[in-house]
Amino acid sequence: MAKEIVAMLLAGGQGSRLYALTQNLAKPAVPFGGKYRIIDFPLSNCVNSGIDTVGILTQYQPLVLNEYIGNGQPWDLDRLNGGVHVLPPYQKATGSDWFKGTANAIYQHISFIDRYDPEYVIILSGDQICKQDYSEFLAFHKAKGADFSVAVMEVPWDEASRFGLMVTDANSKITEFQEKPKNPKSNLASMGNYIFKWDILRQYLIEDEADPESENDFGKNIIPNLLKDGRDMYAFRFDGYWKDVGTIPSLWEANMEVLDPEHSGIDLFDENWKIYSRNSGMTGHKIGANAFVENSMITDGCRVNGDVKNSILFAGVKVEPGAVVEEAVVMGGTTIKAGAVVKHCIVAENVIIGEYAVVGAMPEGDAAGVATVGPGVVIGDHAKIGPNAMIRNNVEGGEVVC
Amino acid sequence: MLSNNTSALGIIFPNTYDSIIPELTNVRLMASIPFASRYRMIDFMLSSMASSDVNNISLLVNKNYLSLMDHLGSGREWDLVRKNGGLHLFPPNVERTSTVYTGRVSAIAGILDFLRGQKEKYVVMADSNIAVNFDFKALIQAHIESGADVTAVYNEQEIPEGYLRMRNEQGFYYCYGVDDGRVKRIHVNSKEPGIQNLSMNIFAVERELLIKLINDAFVCGLRYWERDVLLNQLDTLDIQAYKYDGYVARITGVKDYFDENMKLLDDANLDALFSGNSIYTKIRDDNPTRYVAGAKAVNTMAADGCVIEGEVENSVLFRGVKVGKGAKVKNCILMQDTVIEAGANVENLITDKEVRVTEGKEVKGTDIYPVYIAKRHTV
Repeated sequence: MAKEIVAMLLAGGQGSRLYALTQNLAKPAVPFGGKYRIIDFPLSNCVNSGIDTVGILTQYQPLVLNEYIGNGQPWDLDRLNGGVHVLPPYQKATGSDWFKGTANAIYQHISFIDRYDPEYVIILSGDQICKQDYSEFLAFHKAKGADFSVAVMEVPWDEASRFGLMVTDANSKITEFQEKPKNPKSNLASMGNYIFKWDILRQYLIEDEADPESENDFGKNIIPNLLKDGRDMYAFRFDGYWKDVGTIPSLWEANMEVLDPEHSGIDLFDENWKIYSRNSGMTGHKIGANAFVENSMITDGCRVNGDVKNSILFAGVKVEPGAVVEEAVVMGGTTIKAGAVVKHCIVAENVIIGEYAVVGAMPEGDAAGVATVGPGVVIGDHAKIGPNAMIRNNVEGGEVVC
Repeated sequence: MLSNNTSALGIIFPNTYDSIIPELTNVRLMASIPFASRYRMIDFMLSSMASSDVNNISLLVNKNYLSLMDHLGSGREWDLVRKNGGLHLFPPNVERTSTVYTGRVSAIAGILDFLRGQKEKYVVMADSNIAVNFDFKALIQAHIESGADVTAVYNEQEIPEGYLRMRNEQGFYYCYGVDDGRVKRIHVNSKEPGIQNLSMNIFAVERELLIKLINDAFVCGLRYWERDVLLNQLDTLDIQAYKYDGYVARITGVKDYFDENMKLLDDANLDALFSGNSIYTKIRDDNPTRYVAGAKAVNTMAADGCVIEGEVENSVLFRGVKVGKGAKVKNCILMQDTVIEAGANVENLITDKEVRVTEGKEVKGTDIYPVYIAKRHTV
């Protein structure tokens, strides 16, 4: 049955700059905000925007992501017609290929999209934290009669050269595209979310695939080709919260911003725009008789018996008596033992931090940074992990790692 | 699974003992009373059965069951959406009984046709006023090994206050005289002090035998399974006693509803109740609970979706509770979406869902008699 719009979610990224966290995990599956994973945001946006057909393009370490998505029920995407589908690269009669670029990933699944015979396709990036109503974006696209629209954010001019920029006329029509230019002519940065007319995109994907010189990438190839051909291309301004969480500092910062919704603009408490996730199934959390908790988010299964300040604890985290947790993001199932100090860092899932160990702790001056402890790591008693450290392997008791 | 000889179907009675906790069952039934920060009483039996491979579960509701239907939905959260079996909600079969049933005999008599058509060899039955992480597999195993006609589950404890205050027309509770593992005597509404073998109203029985026993009892006009069926046939039926040593939270009145919630603030009790299989409940997709700067929480259990700006001590907070700036909450059970506004001061309180205590108000019960505020009321 035909659908008006199909969403294609690019979730194949390795997330190499998060590497301690993405050893066994695709970037969109990285936990975020106490009980979510990054991919919950675009998926929930789809459902809340009335999009019920979503293809998730996976490639790198897909196991956790596949299991997490399952049949899509937590996002109400278990549908008879449509629903969520995980789409890996697959073997065809003419051979098999890993996805070469973002455009090639969609190209390889043209037949998936064709099954729904949609008028529009929305391409979404699976590695950003953003609450966006895609139905407004689509309404804009339709009103402009556009072949292509891109969601853009105004960024400060001095940062503009880090982004792909859209130069537009007064009518929001795109006249030029600059990829990370030295001299920006615009401060409208692409958020990596596009809407295409499907017949147009389909044609350009096939042409792009036939071009041996192409890198098969939306930003480098497809969008410039559309511009060259004088297609109707428009920029849709978005002014809500948006954050690319591709680096450890930005991931940490976005988590901290969740603690301050009044100023940061990322409100997870909005009843009208819920973010859905797969539930831990644990019982309510418990704050002990000698615990101290301030400006923090705590979820099911946590047992807090130490001090927790400006931090986010995921499901089932245990903080033993005398432990201090400050400005930390502590993911599910991790135990912080008595007297340990965990500050200004990201601690992944199922980590054990030994008694009186010190992790992170923001030093004075230039050495400031976010320490990261990878999943399943055991940090021995009295060990010290410096700021900026990325820990992937167990650390012996008393050892010092900077 | 159904081809082997150890499979059992489940029957749960969601209305039992409704009348001994009238405050909380005014708008619901026993099975949907909220418990332990994010659950309803029914979650414990349903999850226990589902994790013991009892996947064909019938709920014989009597009245006031809208809240339960809303809670259960299709049964997905308990993994009970199945092609074979799954969750069945049976309203009273009015065509046959012309009034809603008054005991297990007429309740089960209403579904005899259904029972005849099932494939499981055994039946396990339970009430829903007990929060327990029960291993039905072990019970069925013991029942099969002993070769008993009926296996009855009990735990050793004193008779709770709520039962002692109960009048005969409100219902019955039972203590067993056990001899060499067999139930020799059944004492109805005993007032005996001290530790008793208190029935948990959980039974295992072969399906064919249950059908026969219920059919015989129903045609004689008998009403109650334990009082009228088992007690009268103690000599002819082999009724084995099965002692349960795990954690049991029994709801027999408002006071022990309060106490049983508070007991879970002790980590040992919390672990005892939740360390077995997972207990599942309806998902609300709340965000994590937020403790704002200046908040203070001590010895408190809270579910997701709360925003705490004031002080909370020795309390159990259900999903979506808000405690405003400067508010003080002590020894309270605050059910879903309760709002304690800024500067309010509450102590020894049970608030039902969506209660609002307005700015600066003071409401206090005592530890022997907590104050209950009904659903959606504003103080």
